[in-house]
Amino acid sequence: MSKKDPQARRDVPTYCYQCVSGPDLLTVGVEDGVATEVQPNFDSAAVHPAAGKVCVKAYGLVQKTYNPHRIKTPMKRTNPKKGPNEDPGFVPVSWDEALDLVADNLNECRAKGLKDESGYPRVAASFGGGGTPTSYMGTFPAFLGAWGPIDAGFGSGQGVKCYHSEHLYGEFWHRAFTVAPDTPLCEYVLSFGSNVEASGGVCGVSRHADARARGMKRVQLEPHLSITGACSAEWVPIRPKSDPAFLMAMIHVLLHERKWEELDLDFIKHRTSSPYLLGKFGYYMRDPETRKPLIWDANTDKPVPFDTPGAEPVLEAPFLVEHGIEEGADGKEWEHVNERCQTAWEKLVEHTKPYSPLWASQICDVPVKTIRRIALEYLEHARVGETIEIEGRILPLRPVAITLGKTVNNGWGGFDCCWARTLLACLIGGLEVPGGTLGTTVRLNRPATSRQASVKPSRDGFMDYPMNPTDKENWVSRPDVRNANRTLIPLVANSPWSQALGPTHIAWMLQNDTPENWPEPTLPDVWFVYRTNPVISFWDTDSIADTVSRFPFTVCFAYTADETNHMADILLPECTDLESLQLIRIGGTKYFEQYWDHQGFALRQPIVETQGEARDFTWIATELAKRTGLLEAYNNAINRGAAGVRLTSDVVDCSLDEGTEHSVEEIWDAVCRAASVEMSDGKNQDGLDYYREHGLKTIPYERLNWYLYPELEDQGLRFEMPYQEGLYRIGKQLANRLHESGISWWDAQLDEYEPLPVWQDLAALWERALEENFDIDINDFPFWLVTSRSMQYAWGGNADIQMIREVASNIAGHGGVIMNTGRAAELGIGQGDLVEIASPLNTTRGRAILRQGVRPDTLVMIGQFDHWATPLAKTFDVPSMNKLTPMLLDLTDSTGSGADLVRATIRVVEKAP
Amino acid sequence: MTRWGMVADLERCVGCQTCTASCKHTNATPPSVQWRKVLDLEVGAYPDVKRVFVPVGCMHCEDPPCMHVCPSTATRQRADGIVTIDYDLCIGCAYCAVACPYQARYKVNGPTFAYGGRAGMKNEARREDPARLGVAQKCTFCSDRVDYGLANGLTPGIDHEASPACVNSCIAGALHFGDLKDPDSNVSRLLDTHQTFRMHAELGTEPGFHYIWKRKNNAGIDDEVEAPSLFSTGIGNVGGAAPWLQQHWDWRAAGNFIGGGTGSGLLAAIAVASFYAPLSFLYVLLALAFVGAGLFLVWLETGRPWRAPLNVFFNPQTSWMSRESMVAGLLFPLAFVAGWFGTGPLLSVAALVAMGFLYCQARLLKASKGIPAWRTPAIVRLIMTSGLCEGTGLLVAVGFLAPPVYAGLTTVLAVLLVLRLRSWRTYRKSLNGTAPDEALRVIKTMSLPFGLFGHLLPIILIASGYLFVGAAPVVGALAGICALAAGWWMKYMLVTKASYNQGYAINHTPERGAGGGGAGGKPGWGMAS
Repeated sequence: MSKKDPQARRDVPTYCYQCVSGPDLLTVGVEDGVATEVQPNFDSAAVHPAAGKVCVKAYGLVQKTYNPHRIKTPMKRTNPKKGPNEDPGFVPVSWDEALDLVADNLNECRAKGLKDESGYPRVAASFGGGGTPTSYMGTFPAFLGAWGPIDAGFGSGQGVKCYHSEHLYGEFWHRAFTVAPDTPLCEYVLSFGSNVEASGGVCGVSRHADARARGMKRVQLEPHLSITGACSAEWVPIRPKSDPAFLMAMIHVLLHERKWEELDLDFIKHRTSSPYLLGKFGYYMRDPETRKPLIWDANTDKPVPFDTPGAEPVLEAPFLVEHGIEEGADGKEWEHVNERCQTAWEKLVEHTKPYSPLWASQICDVPVKTIRRIALEYLEHARVGETIEIEGRILPLRPVAITLGKTVNNGWGGFDCCWARTLLACLIGGLEVPGGTLGTTVRLNRPATSRQASVKPSRDGFMDYPMNPTDKENWVSRPDVRNANRTLIPLVANSPWSQALGPTHIAWMLQNDTPENWPEPTLPDVWFVYRTNPVISFWDTDSIADTVSRFPFTVCFAYTADETNHMADILLPECTDLESLQLIRIGGTKYFEQYWDHQGFALRQPIVETQGEARDFTWIATELAKRTGLLEAYNNAINRGAAGVRLTSDVVDCSLDEGTEHSVEEIWDAVCRAASVEMSDGKNQDGLDYYREHGLKTIPYERLNWYLYPELEDQGLRFEMPYQEGLYRIGKQLANRLHESGISWWDAQLDEYEPLPVWQDLAALWERALEENFDIDINDFPFWLVTSRSMQYAWGGNADIQMIREVASNIAGHGGVIMNTGRAAELGIGQGDLVEIASPLNTTRGRAILRQGVRPDTLVMIGQFDHWATPLAKTFDVPSMNKLTPMLLDLTDSTGSGADLVRATIRVVEKAP
Repeated sequence: MTRWGMVADLERCVGCQTCTASCKHTNATPPSVQWRKVLDLEVGAYPDVKRVFVPVGCMHCEDPPCMHVCPSTATRQRADGIVTIDYDLCIGCAYCAVACPYQARYKVNGPTFAYGGRAGMKNEARREDPARLGVAQKCTFCSDRVDYGLANGLTPGIDHEASPACVNSCIAGALHFGDLKDPDSNVSRLLDTHQTFRMHAELGTEPGFHYIWKRKNNAGIDDEVEAPSLFSTGIGNVGGAAPWLQQHWDWRAAGNFIGGGTGSGLLAAIAVASFYAPLSFLYVLLALAFVGAGLFLVWLETGRPWRAPLNVFFNPQTSWMSRESMVAGLLFPLAFVAGWFGTGPLLSVAALVAMGFLYCQARLLKASKGIPAWRTPAIVRLIMTSGLCEGTGLLVAVGFLAPPVYAGLTTVLAVLLVLRLRSWRTYRKSLNGTAPDEALRVIKTMSLPFGLFGHLLPIILIASGYLFVGAAPVVGALAGICALAAGWWMKYMLVTKASYNQGYAINHTPERGAGGGGAGGKPGWGMAS
């Protein structure tokens, strides 16, 4: 056997950010200039929570680079007709010609005005993958920033395939765009369909593996036995979309079947709104002078403003408030004298009384004793009263958490689940404390780099939240983008992320069907598309394809042909992952389990020669800026931080000359130097060369920053739980505004602005909506069709990578529709039979994959494979539920989100050979 | 002494296939070749069902059946336990592949590329290794990394430069590599502190791959555990865990057993018949032609046919394929000379050698530990009796023999048929509980036609020949054809249709954190009745 060094080659460090649970730090082996092998970046083991390990998707990058199906030159469409059945007739053109064509269209837009006659931006852009394309698009954000208004509201799955309710309510209640357990300390996790072993990235997987080895118990509640269910101590096959009932019943057990002393009463009294007194109209009873909500103080036995020093809040007693004021919607006020008031806590107790385990059992199809046992296990594991020292500070230790997955977490019922989950954490004092339920990043609040810094006090003693205005003066009555996020969704705020988190399917739906008193729909004059494929990744994909084919000028940054760029006018091949240059922030706290003990920056660099005529994204952005006369504004945007780091600094100025065109290397060298400066307060100015060699640079990150509780404690603030007085008022105001504008088609959504969530029969809601919209008998569609993520594909945009397909095939379900073995036998369906799955909207075909680990009333289709243009993927012949799921206003919740499920039926087309 | 081994912690494994991908990168394996992969098993029935992810690959057995059967000595075992393949010696007969009960071996005959076509991508071209074409390949425990590490003072399993790629890549910390003989090694400590099992331990290959399924309690004592119910809980084939029909040996391999059996049986029948009357040399030539045709067919199946005729003789110590080849080498000149000179005693010696050849073929199948329908000891008698039935049947059918010779041979044939039928019954019985459902299903469907047309019918025909003497040659020929055809069909079916491999099994489902861990399962086994 040879004793030669098996690694006799160059190993180049880089990062992979194909999915939201990245970035992963890796090295790529290069032999004779050819990338051959991906490996973990072992040098980063000390700073990376998963010791520098790399997710399976990153191993697809070598094939991605050399894929023979790559588009390697700019292309121009020659067939003016667009549609799935039209041959685009793409012909190669020079970069000059392609960029001039794009610039001409952009310049024309600018000449006509940046907004069209309906007030919508003329330029739109869609990016996929939960924001991950930003880590690949170089300085393109600087170009968009320089451009002006952009409509980023044409979604490609956002809102329906993300954790939408959590994103919005999570940020609202605890600065938690994403929520994760404090896995390194947690001992008991209830996972409602959350699929951390498939979508939690290497940090999630390794942390949960460590936690299991430590003896952590995780219970997975989900209609099918997912990857995460497989890795859990217990699987509870709950009925689809019945999760809120289970959670409500848990609250019932804690409030009505146990002594309250077992709960964290100190947390409840001092860190939540539970002791706030309510008036008879459902708003807080306020002190007439300070207008602060009142609590009842046990020391003085009288109502005092919530923040009165030394006050000891009382949760339950007869409260007679001598004088108080209720503030309703639109400035309406009620003055009360000698008013008998309830606390929010009492209201909660009363509200949850009907939601018993017996009640939930019927809805969830889970035995009463299981619900009760799980509620009690949750309570027992919470260790109420215990503390832990973190970096010198004593904090509560509550090693229990609840996580919510996709579908649980969006559409109707999402609010209920998020509320119940957050409340359950509050009841045992486990919100944002060690071991408990944590938020890990902010996207709607500012600054984006620090959850702690985003905490500002509201007048009611909570964290202030940047709601979109609903008052008469400030309401955005005329939508500024096509999905009307700021008009309809107060909670979505107004950050750079807000458009993508608005009701993104509305942008598509309203193209075909304009509701009353709404601006005429218009198509964007220019549409940029990068790393996303809405024609297969959203719902009702036939309809999306139809709409996309009507877009007048579509520019796709294209890696291979796909279903969306099939309708493009220009294809621009950008350098892919191993060919281009970019520096990104790593560490700190990011999505899900990405909370680190370090923070810093990592570089993605050209590892191999660019294939064909592909160009670095930064070069493309600079060229577009130049050709549209925006170079100065573009450079200015970079200097202000559009490339991820602010170049101008008081300490050391790394900024670029704004009047000059800079090369890709010059730009990123400046960004690298600015990053080094930022990390060292100017003591270090390592530039591009350093990062090229080492790949990353980090500094320690305080673990205390994982927890928001200390910040609230320091500022004397409370979590806005359980009572939603603010949302209730906002809902009333929004209703007023919409009704004043003659809009009544959003009324069902307005009903969701409740102070406490009232159970609604979600199954019936779906059934009714489908029956009413499609004139069908729901009994003809007896199955719930749901989907599930897979680690090999989630967010990857990698359906055309052969090796990924090959290794994914080892995991059941990638090749067809999963159904219960016993139920299949009843229907005469055998393993591998070709079946047709029909929803009220459409039909699709695929192979039956029979498994024991799925409810008899549920079908599962993993991922979203319905490709007809993407090379390789179009040969898979795998069904996707996207084609079957309708976009219905009836099934859109108040946050503008829909849930990824539909009713379906299944029949054999051809028996397996 | 060192014994490199691997430990897979089933509690940790999440089935992400990062190890699979990483192995493909490091070892540059072509599409569909996965030296390391992770299975996706289900055990139990809804709603009491467990899903388990099980890393598999070469188990680097202490007593590797692949090595024993290898005719070329390409497969060897190093002193440190790693089972290796010398691509320059391997003839690509795939005997090792059917002998491996872990389905760990692959053979790729021509260049294959991720996106098809005649040329690969740059990375494929850079890593292309023609030496791997047409030969067996499998996991090497990344022995080049291990050796590099040892040569540079590193510790395999601890230092990543010296460790297998799959272990390095595992994001769940599920895969561990180390010295099983060193009581202080990382893997030994894991085995000390956990309850473990080895897959298919009952087959006695002593695999060097251990599976953790449960932590030991604080006292380091195993808890009481439910006895593994290996034969009752397998379900379905999704996840690739249930046995599948081996594809290594096809009709050409079957042709060797058909030709070899018929030819050697024919020689034996000729030797017996020649006691009564001398037979034409052509009969001996026909017998040798059958044996030769069989060998030719199986030669066609080798991946490296030009080195096969020499390298196949390299391992007579343990390989029945080497032995078969050697006996064939003796058989041809001996039988030729015996036939040419028509000497009865020499012919008898040739017939004995032919029986030796037939025995080698039977043992060749029996040594295929990876194929339950072959490895049963009962297959030896079945192959032997069938070869004799086929040869005798052929002689009866084409012999145009004088009446006393004919009468004697038909009686012998009748007796042989009875013996073959009994062998078949014994064979079938021996498979109960030792073969997977699908193999049993195939065998079951074979039984009636095999018994009816291959045995009962020819016996009736032979009997009717006694009663209706005038029709005897015709019905005798028919009986012979039946005996012959049934033998051929039976072997064709056993080699190509009943040859389901062992599949995979786990003795226990793992605990997952504070719960789970119980009886294991063996997908594809024990459901048929």
